Amino acid sequence: MLENSIFAILSLFLIGGALMVLLSREIVLNAFGFLIAMLAMAGLFALLENSFLFLAQIMISAGAVVVLSLIAVTTINLKRDNLPEEPNKIRWIVISALIVSPISLLIYKTLTMVNRKFQETVDGYGTLKVIGGELFSSWVLPFEILSVLLLAAMLAAIVIARKESEI
Amino acid sequence: MSQEPFFLVATLLFSIGLIGVMSRRNLFAVYISIELMLSAINLILVTFSRLLGDMGGSVIVLLLLAVIAAEAAVFLAMIIQLARAKKTIDSDYFSHLRQPKESL
Repeated sequence: MLENSIFAILSLFLIGGALMVLLSREIVLNAFGFLIAMLAMAGLFALLENSFLFLAQIMISAGAVVVLSLIAVTTINLKRDNLPEEPNKIRWIVISALIVSPISLLIYKTLTMVNRKFQETVDGYGTLKVIGGELFSSWVLPFEILSVLLLAAMLAAIVIARKESEI
Repeated sequence: MSQEPFFLVATLLFSIGLIGVMSRRNLFAVYISIELMLSAINLILVTFSRLLGDMGGSVIVLLLLAVIAAEAAVFLAMIIQLARAKKTIDSDYFSHLRQPKESL
C-alpha cells in the first residue's frame, strides 16, 4: 500500500515535470521541469530496487546534465522578446498528440504483453558490486566503445563552441 | 505491485517527449524533450531488468546515462553557438543548410 502511494506521488511529479517542459514558454521553467522529472525518475529507480542506478541517475542526470543546461540558459541570456513566438502552440500540441497517441497505445500494448510478475529479488540485486561485475565481464566491449564516444563528444563540443568558428 | 503502472508512466513520458519534439519551436525545449524520451527508455529497461531478475538491463541503463551526458555536451554547445550567431533559439531561423531556390 505504501509502495503504491509512493509510486503515485513520484509519477505525478514525473508527468508534471514533463508537462512543464512541454507547455512552458520560459526556458528556465523548462529546465526546472526537467530537474523535477529527473529526480522523480531516480525515485522510480529506487522503487525498482536498483540502488546504484538511483545514485547514478541523481549524479549524472540531475546533477550534471541539468546543471549544465542551467549554465547554458544563463550563458545565452535571452530576453523574453527574443524567445520564439509560437502563436499556435496549443493547436500544434493537440495535432501532434493526435498523431502520437496510436503509436503510444501500440507501445503500451506491446510492453504489457509480457506475462510475468515481480518476484522477490535475489541477494545483492542492483548493488554496485553486482552491476560492476556484470559490466566488466560480459559488457566490456560496449564500455570501451562508450569511452571513445565520450572522447568524440568532448572534442565535438570544444570545436563547435569555439568563438571564432563560423556557422 | 504489478509492472503495468511503470510501463504506463514510461509510455506517457515517451509520448510527451515525442509531442514536444514535433510541436515546439524553441530549440531548448526540443533538446529537453529528446532527453525525456531517452529517460523513458531507461525506465522501461530498468523495469524489465527487475521483472526478469537479470542485471543486463541495469548495465545498459548505466551505459545509456553516459550517452545522455555526451549528447547533452554536444547539444548545449550547438545551442550556445547558434544563439551567439543569431541572438535567438527559434528553430525557424536556422536554415543555412536549405538549398537555395535559384539552384533548383
